[in-house]
Amino acid sequence: MAENLMLFAPELTLVLTGLFVLMVGLFLPTGAKKVLGYLASIGILVALSLTVSSLGTEGMAFNDTLSVDALSQFFKIVFLVVALIVSIASIKYTEGNSHTEEFYALSIFATIGMMFVASANDIMVLFVAFELASLATYALAGFEKKNQKSLEAALKYFIIGSLSAAMLLFGISFIYGLTGTTSIPGIAANITALSTSPMGIVAVVLMLAGFGFKIALVPFHMWAPDTYQGAPSVVSALLAAGSKKMGIVAAFKIFIVALIALQAEWQIAFAILAVVTMTYGNVVALKQTSVKRMLAYSSLAQAGYISMAFVVLTPLALGGGILYALSHGFMKAGAFIVTAAVAYMVLSDNKDSEDTDHIDNFKGLGVRMPITALSMTIFVFALAGIPLTAGYMSKFVLFSSTIQSGFAWLAVIAILNSAISLYYYAKIVKYMYFLPTDLEKVSEPLPYVAALLIAVAGVFAIGFWPEPFIHWAMEAAMVLIPGGM
Amino acid sequence: MLPILSLIVLIPLVFAALTLLTKTKEQARLMALVATVSVLILTLYMYLNFDSTTAAHQFEELYQWVPSLGITYHVGVDGIAMPLILLNAIVLPFLVLFTWNDERKSPNKFYALILGTEAAVIGVFTALDFFLFYVFWELTLIPLFFMVSIWGGPNKHHASIKFFIYTHVASLVMLLGIFGLYFAAWDMTGTPTLDIPTLLAQFQLIESALLKDMIFLALLFGFIVKIPSFPFHSWQPDAYTEAPTAGSVLFVMLKIGGYGLFKIMLPMLPFTGSPNMMITIMAVLGSVSIIYGAFLALSQKDLKRMVAYSSVSHMGYVLLGAAGLVSLSVSGAMFQQFSHGLIMSVMFMSCGIINNKTGTRIMNDLGGLAQKMPKLAVIMVLTFMASLGLPGLSGFIAEVSVLAGSFGNLPAYVIIALVAIVITGAYHLWALQRTMFGVFDKKLGTITDINRYQTLSMGVIAILILYFGLNPSAVLDMMLTNSEQIASMMAVMGV
Repeated sequence: MAENLMLFAPELTLVLTGLFVLMVGLFLPTGAKKVLGYLASIGILVALSLTVSSLGTEGMAFNDTLSVDALSQFFKIVFLVVALIVSIASIKYTEGNSHTEEFYALSIFATIGMMFVASANDIMVLFVAFELASLATYALAGFEKKNQKSLEAALKYFIIGSLSAAMLLFGISFIYGLTGTTSIPGIAANITALSTSPMGIVAVVLMLAGFGFKIALVPFHMWAPDTYQGAPSVVSALLAAGSKKMGIVAAFKIFIVALIALQAEWQIAFAILAVVTMTYGNVVALKQTSVKRMLAYSSLAQAGYISMAFVVLTPLALGGGILYALSHGFMKAGAFIVTAAVAYMVLSDNKDSEDTDHIDNFKGLGVRMPITALSMTIFVFALAGIPLTAGYMSKFVLFSSTIQSGFAWLAVIAILNSAISLYYYAKIVKYMYFLPTDLEKVSEPLPYVAALLIAVAGVFAIGFWPEPFIHWAMEAAMVLIPGGM
Repeated sequence: MLPILSLIVLIPLVFAALTLLTKTKEQARLMALVATVSVLILTLYMYLNFDSTTAAHQFEELYQWVPSLGITYHVGVDGIAMPLILLNAIVLPFLVLFTWNDERKSPNKFYALILGTEAAVIGVFTALDFFLFYVFWELTLIPLFFMVSIWGGPNKHHASIKFFIYTHVASLVMLLGIFGLYFAAWDMTGTPTLDIPTLLAQFQLIESALLKDMIFLALLFGFIVKIPSFPFHSWQPDAYTEAPTAGSVLFVMLKIGGYGLFKIMLPMLPFTGSPNMMITIMAVLGSVSIIYGAFLALSQKDLKRMVAYSSVSHMGYVLLGAAGLVSLSVSGAMFQQFSHGLIMSVMFMSCGIINNKTGTRIMNDLGGLAQKMPKLAVIMVLTFMASLGLPGLSGFIAEVSVLAGSFGNLPAYVIIALVAIVITGAYHLWALQRTMFGVFDKKLGTITDINRYQTLSMGVIAILILYFGLNPSAVLDMMLTNSEQIASMMAVMGV
């Protein structure tokens, strides 16, 4: 048992950190709550280093309901990195807020939920962990209690999220009813009960809709732009970069491990969803004037790319999708942190201003906040897939695997989509560097700068030295399809 | 041994970053001069030690980079790349000198972008790994895009976006071709590699003729948009015209499309499913570009736009010569790229000066400038003569080799191109007559001649045009070695 617990040392560290932050926060005056941010960041950093140092260990725990393997480790690192970036940036965001401890506790609990989803080997454990992360993020989205947009974002997210959870649960009930087990490998073993019954299709459709909401695939995406735009930027970073990846790893486990026998049914659905999502996301992003909303639509497009992995289903494609998830974590978290820094800048110009995410606020950012602007340039170019960045490397692996498996048409659509996306990404760069502003230079808050630099380092690390990352991603992919199909 | 190829890419790249940090024009231009001159010195050293009797790669460097995907850091030059690197290395320091006294906003960014372009373009010429090749290929886009969109003319936004989207889409199609080749070879051999020489050798082993044709056409599309050739040339006059003078010269240095044609397309050509169709495509596009570009140039009112269209016409010779498939025509086409780079850079510099001094480039509003600017007049007449193909200057050698070489295989297309020679002569002379000669229009105000930096830079390049016209073998020898290898392969395959 003790050995089992050691497998989950990172999660336990986070649980203790979360509770500790919550407790300590009760006794601190508002002015001193800044220390909570440092505490939370240190806790996450410890959990991250524990995870990294235990790379390669494998094991099952708690009656085989949780498993630690290359896949779970990889996604845990994604979640922890995103959580670290978000929590460092939030040191500035939560400054002077009397609810700081709740913010940190909730974001840590959300991260724990995501990590357990990555480890889940049982469909019920997966659902519970999924809900832990979801509930925490519902509350985080509405963190700005006096801000109508934030509340609207939280409410939309909550209602649609609950609906999708209900669908998920409904789907799970069919799977359990037909196969008689909730264990993911058990379902795969008893899959004939499901594949021979017409209810199998119903279960697949329900699961697809449930995960579609979380990953924000078109047509299940309606909540995402409003929520990403309305929620505080640091929370949007957590949602887009972290929570979305949770949906992906859960879908990997359910579809590719448990329901692989029903491949014919869901593969074509994912093909359609991927194409529609990436095209819709990119085209709608073109005309957005809110940067956060633009990032939300670009996030849709990126989810569309990752979904290609479900269609191609080779180790290389899954490795590409998994690598993409990590890259996207860095790029998207970074980009949302930039919007947080810009919002800070706009509010320090005029504390009553609304629409802090309007693209006009990015005018002359290259002069006003040089580090932030340069980081944003790197993030958007990486998202567009410019060479020597993480985005390019992941696209290279993912798109090329698509061609390799004979889905050239899908790769062509994806590549054309990348070309379109460059237009709106370049627009942000144009505003930052080419449009003049008469406002003065702003000193950039250290926490934002630190968070941005971590994300930039990640983007370049994967871009310049992809070999170890590809290796880990491929190992993770091998967990999903051990034989290599 | 000194990693000289890495250095000539790295030096401009590092100096570009350093230049960005400078505060004044004086510092920025000095940095740019130091970097470009160091590249020139290294390149001259390489040129002097270059063995032009072998078609193999020289000065090679090879390191593993991403073994699981077969990506390596592999650079090297042969007789196709060496002259083009030399061209860039020669022109760039003089381009910096040419802009020495210009006043413009953000000089640090300006010079950093010049250096960035140099690094990227030389990078394309040295890369022997498709990954590296594509990285540099895409990297050329970014500085040029900013060059046009920051310092360009009135239509700069339209022109820069058009250039970016046009060539970016073409690059993506090229990338698809690279992927096709990469995976077809991976499937056959079981080991991934992006090494250019290896993949070119493995191309012939691909069984499906259709796949080979698709790969070839995808790559060809990427290259001919960059060249550019009819019917994909429409980004070029806009970008060349709207770019600042330095930007136009950099565009002219961007010989990567033609380079890809010789380096990648021709070795693949005999092994495609239908080589005759490919030859016809290249010959048709080449000869149509020659004549269509010439007619469009004839109809232009704007001097710089005329020069831009003349470039479309001249680059048609590159395609036609490549399609000629004998060593005379192929080496002529390679020489055309080299010579065209020298000639066009002086022509664009002249356009820039005329625009600066008189405030207009509309040829009918000009006239008699030779009286006020004798030094410019001498240089400009020389380069215009070189451009229209006067014997003794470099343009002549190139065009004669292309036309004479291609005549054996493609007589009909050569005859079409011959018609264009008359038109080429006409628009060049007519343009000279309308701008430099005739009656000087008093409305243009007081006009001074070019300053000594401009004289120096344009003069040296003009002298080189004469030098390479009289002594073409200085670069033609190495081109011939590689063209003979290509031509003999064609002969073996019976194409």
